[in-house]
Amino acid sequence: MDGMTKLLDMRGITKVFPGVKALDSVDFELLSGEVHVLLGENGAGKSTLMKVLAGAYKPESGRIFINGEEVKIQGPSHAQELGIGIVYQEFNLVPYLNVAENVFIDHFPRTRFGTIDHKEMHRAANELLCSLSMQVDTHALITELSTAQQQMVEIAKALKHRSKILILDEPTSSLTEREIEQLFSTVRELKRKGMGIIYISHRMQELWEIGDRVTVLRDGKYIGTRTLRETTPDELVTMMVGREVSFLFKRDFQQPGEEVLRLEHLSSAVHRLQDINLTLRRGEIVGLAGLVGSGRTELARTIFGLEPSSGGKIFLFGEEVHNSTPSRMVQKGVALLPEDRKNQGLALILSVAENIVMASLEKLFPRKYIQSRKEKEVVARYIKNLRIVTPHANRQVQFLSGGNQQKVVLGKWLCTEADIFIFDEPTRGIDVNAKAEIHEFMNELVKKGSAILMISSELPEVLGMSDRIYVMRERKIVAELTHSEASQEAVIRYATAADHATNTMGCV
Amino acid sequence: MMKGKIERLSPIRILQSIQPVFWVTLFLMLVFNFFSSRFLSLHNIINLFQQGAVLLIVAAASTLVILSEGLDLSLGSVLTLAGITSVMTVNGGAPVSAAIGVGVLTGLLCGALTGTLIAVFNMQPFIATLGIQGVYYGISLVLTDSVAILTKNKTFIFFGSRIGYIPMAAIIGVGVFLLILYVFHNTPFGRYIVAIGGNESGTRLSGVNTTFWKWFVYTFAGGITGFAGVLLAARLEAADPIVGIGWEFDAIAATILGGTSFQKGKGGVKGTALGVLLITVVRNGLNVIRTPSILQPALIGTILIIAIVIQVGLSMRSTEKEGKNRP
Amino acid sequence: MMQKKSLVSMMDPNIVSGVGRVFALLLICLAMGFASPVFFTARNISLIVTNASIMAILGVGLTITIITCGPDLSVGSILTITAVVAVILVKANVHFLIAFGIALCMGTALGFLNGILVTKVGLPPFISTYGLQWALFGFAYVILKGYVIYNFDADFRFIGNGYLIGPISMPIVVMVIVVFLGWFILRKTTIGRMFYATGANRDAARMSGIDTGKAILLAFSISGFLSALAGIVLVARINACQADIGKNLLLPSLATVYMGGTRATGGQGGVFGTLVGAVIMTVVENGMNLLGVPSVWRNAIIGTLIILTVLANIAVSKQLEKAGSKM
Repeated sequence: MDGMTKLLDMRGITKVFPGVKALDSVDFELLSGEVHVLLGENGAGKSTLMKVLAGAYKPESGRIFINGEEVKIQGPSHAQELGIGIVYQEFNLVPYLNVAENVFIDHFPRTRFGTIDHKEMHRAANELLCSLSMQVDTHALITELSTAQQQMVEIAKALKHRSKILILDEPTSSLTEREIEQLFSTVRELKRKGMGIIYISHRMQELWEIGDRVTVLRDGKYIGTRTLRETTPDELVTMMVGREVSFLFKRDFQQPGEEVLRLEHLSSAVHRLQDINLTLRRGEIVGLAGLVGSGRTELARTIFGLEPSSGGKIFLFGEEVHNSTPSRMVQKGVALLPEDRKNQGLALILSVAENIVMASLEKLFPRKYIQSRKEKEVVARYIKNLRIVTPHANRQVQFLSGGNQQKVVLGKWLCTEADIFIFDEPTRGIDVNAKAEIHEFMNELVKKGSAILMISSELPEVLGMSDRIYVMRERKIVAELTHSEASQEAVIRYATAADHATNTMGCV
Repeated sequence: MMKGKIERLSPIRILQSIQPVFWVTLFLMLVFNFFSSRFLSLHNIINLFQQGAVLLIVAAASTLVILSEGLDLSLGSVLTLAGITSVMTVNGGAPVSAAIGVGVLTGLLCGALTGTLIAVFNMQPFIATLGIQGVYYGISLVLTDSVAILTKNKTFIFFGSRIGYIPMAAIIGVGVFLLILYVFHNTPFGRYIVAIGGNESGTRLSGVNTTFWKWFVYTFAGGITGFAGVLLAARLEAADPIVGIGWEFDAIAATILGGTSFQKGKGGVKGTALGVLLITVVRNGLNVIRTPSILQPALIGTILIIAIVIQVGLSMRSTEKEGKNRP
Repeated sequence: MMQKKSLVSMMDPNIVSGVGRVFALLLICLAMGFASPVFFTARNISLIVTNASIMAILGVGLTITIITCGPDLSVGSILTITAVVAVILVKANVHFLIAFGIALCMGTALGFLNGILVTKVGLPPFISTYGLQWALFGFAYVILKGYVIYNFDADFRFIGNGYLIGPISMPIVVMVIVVFLGWFILRKTTIGRMFYATGANRDAARMSGIDTGKAILLAFSISGFLSALAGIVLVARINACQADIGKNLLLPSLATVYMGGTRATGGQGGVFGTLVGAVIMTVVENGMNLLGVPSVWRNAIIGTLIILTVLANIAVSKQLEKAGSKM
């Protein structure tokens, strides 16, 4: 790495939110021409650190140097002027404005009279996109673009001030493999031009393909920096987690019982799912693995009846289900714990008690009358069993901590005493201790005779917890592996079609 | 798939992009003409444009607000109040230009107050505007002592009237509308409106002062509605304290029928002109074929609701199709 | 980290603000009592509560729709059209109970229509209900034109001006029943939970297996039914009916609900607060009468009250959130 200048030096950054120290004296540096990966579990502080750099947050203490000069970043616009561009995981694009307007939304080129100079705007936008080797019609509306194209627009937007530093926050989470390759080639092009790229990710499989160095954060603290070529996944995982990985899962495997769910040639036009075949039996945890975008959440939603299927059959306990709707599925004993637990799983202004019984109203109170004593009993039971921390059951859920909120969601579904549970990323965003608790619950559930379909992007979790694993890729099921057949390599191979891959691996 | 510019302009796509509202309006015009050949006479068509002129402006104001994911139910009261202040000004001996200025200023102040409640205090638009229109109507009633104020000022009336075959109000109305259209497409303000409606938090994170611009949409809408109020008073040769009742609904209906949706900033000012045309055709046509005036409010209300239901139903289907294009 | 926990933050925020409201009411009443010696007689209080009952009945329906989805802005118009129909039938010698029944069915059906517009067509409730009211007022006008129908049979009038025991009038009885049923449904049944869940987070409610479409349809149907009921009581009480009988009821009934503490954002609120709000509104109107406030200012005052109330509600919410999150 000779001849590379130190673009960025962050020293001792501390950021505190009410009750939480998100960053504790973190250091980070970036050289020109490098892709520096920022690695860590959810809640480790990666996004927070980058938001400080991008001007969205002000740190309590610490110093930032850009090209050797100290700066105090006043806000997002100031950060852009300083040459820092950021592409957030959730795009900040306006659906019904065109590409050029989105790129220049905060800085429209003007004519002499103060009106927008459309010609210049489109010309400049085209220039930016071409430099990214991207061809998009700058007159196209954002809604007309694919996710990958939108990302390109975001990158162009981030680069318009001749940035030297580009931050990419989980850029590949919604892309297909072909689009990921395109993104990587764009990133390599930017590297060649001397830019420094900070790449936030927790998807290990990509790091060696695109990264030069990696910095690991854990619980808001700086753990260490390594050169990717000189380290191994295990070392990085240990740094991320802080202890041996194998402690986390302890499944009591058992002989599975009767079949509770079967999908035959299930397809969905709205989600482009094709020919899904799947079975689930009592006492089993079946894992659904695959990269983000492979269609797992969409499959769960289709089974649950949130969106209609367009072909194939769903069998519950041997009987075919026509026109499933969520209320019907809940009645029949199916539970779906969504990925976005806060927004889709909870009514934040309602109380803990009201949320816990929300899915079981028919079951608990068949005559429509709510017996408060029974409600109090049931709620108290789940608060106790799940160890939910709340001063009383009537507290509005919005005031609970993130981990406890997720427990309330779990409590809601446990309360339904469902036979079939579909967990969508059950331990995402949960700290390590709570993770083990959840796995324990899942274990207990299937021991008592329920069945679990578990969608997870964390390979160790999928491998450790599942009796069987289905691997999805591009909206189809491409493999079914038993617990003994499954390994990280096998799953990744099917999930990424690595055996079909061209010779793009490893050439930087 | 990437869409090239050429594909955009093909004849089929132009035909597809013409709203169904256009065909419905055409159809209705033919129907009305069938029942009374006076409908498509030059005299009546000019009348049509005179009648629609004021709504054109108010509907454009409403469109801007709705695009920013807001709503302004007070536009009718602003229309009324501005008409009153401008007539009082001109009747008090001031020049017509001053009267116009007073009217616009009235609208700007009203809009600014509304905008403050919504953008600064974060009130829900419908409550804020529903509440405040009571206040504006109250002020109108007090200023006029509950009766309409007539004006005889020739210059003032001139702008709203019709000189032979030249419809002054229509010309002014269309002119102002085109100005608003221009502002919408060619100024940052116009683009910010769509941005705030489409992704307010994202736009704010991109460095735009969304609170200010949100406030400004209501102020601007108030100002142009104020101008429309002056125009209306000129046409009617009077300022009537309850003249504006129901106008905000017509404006909203025109906006919806013109293809603007309530979410995400979809739609535009251009389409609203079609909506206004439809509504004006319906009102004018019912008169021309001599529908009893008792039936008219109910009939118009029902027609508009049905039209809105059809329009929204159709556009929801097309949004679903749009979603399918994305992988 | 031990922090001083204020008693307020430990309690259910709804109870806290509810107590505050009753307090405010008592203060206003005390002030009125000083202003006029007649105020605290049994007769006057009965009068006030009777007048409040119509507001309260409307308010309960409005509260339910606001909790579930959004405000039913057509309550005044449903009240009007159902009252007009009932009155016409009675004058045509239909038995008054049958006329009542038809009116109530009509109100429920119109409410159901509102629900359909929201659930199947996807229109935001404040647009669809706002638009529907113009059509309904139009139809009322078609039926009654400018006429006033008055002088009804004693049977018909009993529900409006009869007395059950002592000072307790029939409207009060109806109100008590409605409020009690409203409370019961909202707080003690699974249907009420469905309402709150749908209003608090429609997606989460749906994903919890709640049929949110059914909840919305039910909420609006109830509101329509109660609007019709309020109309019957009103017409029976004032012994007259005309086509604009419900025109000025929307703003006061909204004020009633918001003063009762129900938030515009949905998912919370209750009927007891609405009851208190109805009494406050009536006392305020009573006060305006006593003080000789000209009617032109009425709407302005009520509009201002609504805005101030909602602003206060927003401020209180923010404070409670801050207090709650400190724990």
